[in-house]
Amino acid sequence: MTVTTTAHRAPRIREGGLHGAIAAEWTKLWSVRSTWWCLLSAAMVTALVCAQLAVSHVYDNTHAGRPHPGVASAGELAISAMSLVQVVVIAPAMLMITSEYSTGLIRSTLLWTPVRHRMLLAKVIVLAPVMFAIGTALGLLGAGAARPMLGRWGTFPVTGVVADALSVGAYIAVVGVFTLGVGAVLRSAVGTLTGVFLVLMVVPTLLGVAGGAGEKVADALPSIAGQHFMRGDADPYGPAGGLAVTAAWAVAALLAGAWVLHRRDA
Amino acid sequence: MITLRGLTKRYGETTAVRDLSLDVLPGRVTGFLGPNGAGKSTTMRMILGLDRPSAGEALICGRPYATLRNPLRRVGALLDAKAVHPARSARAHLLAMARSNGIPARRVGEVLDAVGLASVARRRVGTFSLGMSQRLGIAGALLGDPEVLLFDEPVNGLDPDGVRWVRELARSLAGEGRTVLVSSHLMSEMQLTADQLIVIGKGRLLADAPIADMLGGSSRSRVVVRSPDMERLRALADALAADRSTVERISGHELAVRDGSVERVGDLAHRLAVPLHGLEERTASLEQAYMELTADSVEYGTAAALEGRV
Repeated sequence: MTVTTTAHRAPRIREGGLHGAIAAEWTKLWSVRSTWWCLLSAAMVTALVCAQLAVSHVYDNTHAGRPHPGVASAGELAISAMSLVQVVVIAPAMLMITSEYSTGLIRSTLLWTPVRHRMLLAKVIVLAPVMFAIGTALGLLGAGAARPMLGRWGTFPVTGVVADALSVGAYIAVVGVFTLGVGAVLRSAVGTLTGVFLVLMVVPTLLGVAGGAGEKVADALPSIAGQHFMRGDADPYGPAGGLAVTAAWAVAALLAGAWVLHRRDA
Repeated sequence: MITLRGLTKRYGETTAVRDLSLDVLPGRVTGFLGPNGAGKSTTMRMILGLDRPSAGEALICGRPYATLRNPLRRVGALLDAKAVHPARSARAHLLAMARSNGIPARRVGEVLDAVGLASVARRRVGTFSLGMSQRLGIAGALLGDPEVLLFDEPVNGLDPDGVRWVRELARSLAGEGRTVLVSSHLMSEMQLTADQLIVIGKGRLLADAPIADMLGGSSRSRVVVRSPDMERLRALADALAADRSTVERISGHELAVRDGSVERVGDLAHRLAVPLHGLEERTASLEQAYMELTADSVEYGTAAALEGRV
């Protein structure tokens, strides 16, 4: 019943600050099972969608009246799959911030790291490399799942597929940071998922249907710009331009999140 | 030491905390009392930098919380026992906490032992009872071996054994020279724990005094006289009033006399030939002193509670 705190004074050797905040975020990320479930479901959805895309690719090539796209690299299919799979893949990024608000943990986190932009920065520093690794792994997995289905209508150039997978990793990392920023603004999981889903998938689809001018506007959206980047499209702004557009959305969302964090009570 | 200077928090039209200025000193347990909705938690949240004051400032060791380097090593707080992720184990929660402030990982085991949670350290926090969650919150507060501790309603959900444990913990922490601020809406609990009392109601400071002064200062200490003879009792009341005593009529047959002793009232009754059926001194309990102090600021008072104020 006695407390032995004075007998063991904590040695004041190591420092907290940003370094400590990063260590805490890393520990938090991997100490809940939901992170692992997110990864597992992302892997399954990616494999299924890539296999499905491969099947329809073969169908298009072997049936009259279809577009007949010819032989494709498995990596290209993995990239195409991302426009659908991304909403599943970003789940850990969303949970990283929204679960703090839904559980009340944010009030603890801000006691540990009271400088709010430092807390958010620590999350970005942990999240971006993790999402990059996840995206790259999913890119390879997706290409691997597509390859056997493609048969003679597909190839698997190793360097090309690895390059495709790395670009998927980069895109997922940036979109993950975008999601984190939106989550910091909206705070609720449902709101964040809806918002991100609208921006990444619904609005581009609607603009695509509108055609012409609509497609031009869609090029400014993060998911379309991300597809241009991953495919290495020369038009409309080159692959680097595509990545820059996506990154601009992520930075804007983060800044908005930091601003809301400063303005509002926790 | 905790210092509040003109601390104010407004939410639109309502003022949750109004112009609080006080010091919470080290080496003693300071009780922070007030009815529900008095602004205790809001004040603590402002001290800890979670809520931004509308005016004024809250300082810990002379600095705002957010500017402290490794704040967990200076300040330990139990605010809300449920401010954890239910899927994380107690150990992982404290480990993340320790890493955030560069606290050695072995402290995690030490505080889990200290609060009696060592055997459930690897269980998911979501499966904990409220009492266990409170203990985990207290473990977190102790983690950085801080010189300032804030406990918001720490005995919530604890069994009698746990209540006594928190009481002894607070006293021993203060005994080691730390600053200990404990909020509660239960005066009876504070009576046993605190050396100093801060009482707020509707966000305003009502009292900031040593616990002994709170008792003495209460207008509740009084002499109650009972007589079947209403007329002579009235004469007694007049005589007492003429002698600078404050007299309250409880009923036709009963008077309450402030600033009077049993001896003086008894002698006077004898001189006026008042037949007495009762003469007793009623000393205020801290509970009464507190009720009296906060009677006007109970947020959701019931009619019965208001009548009980007489």
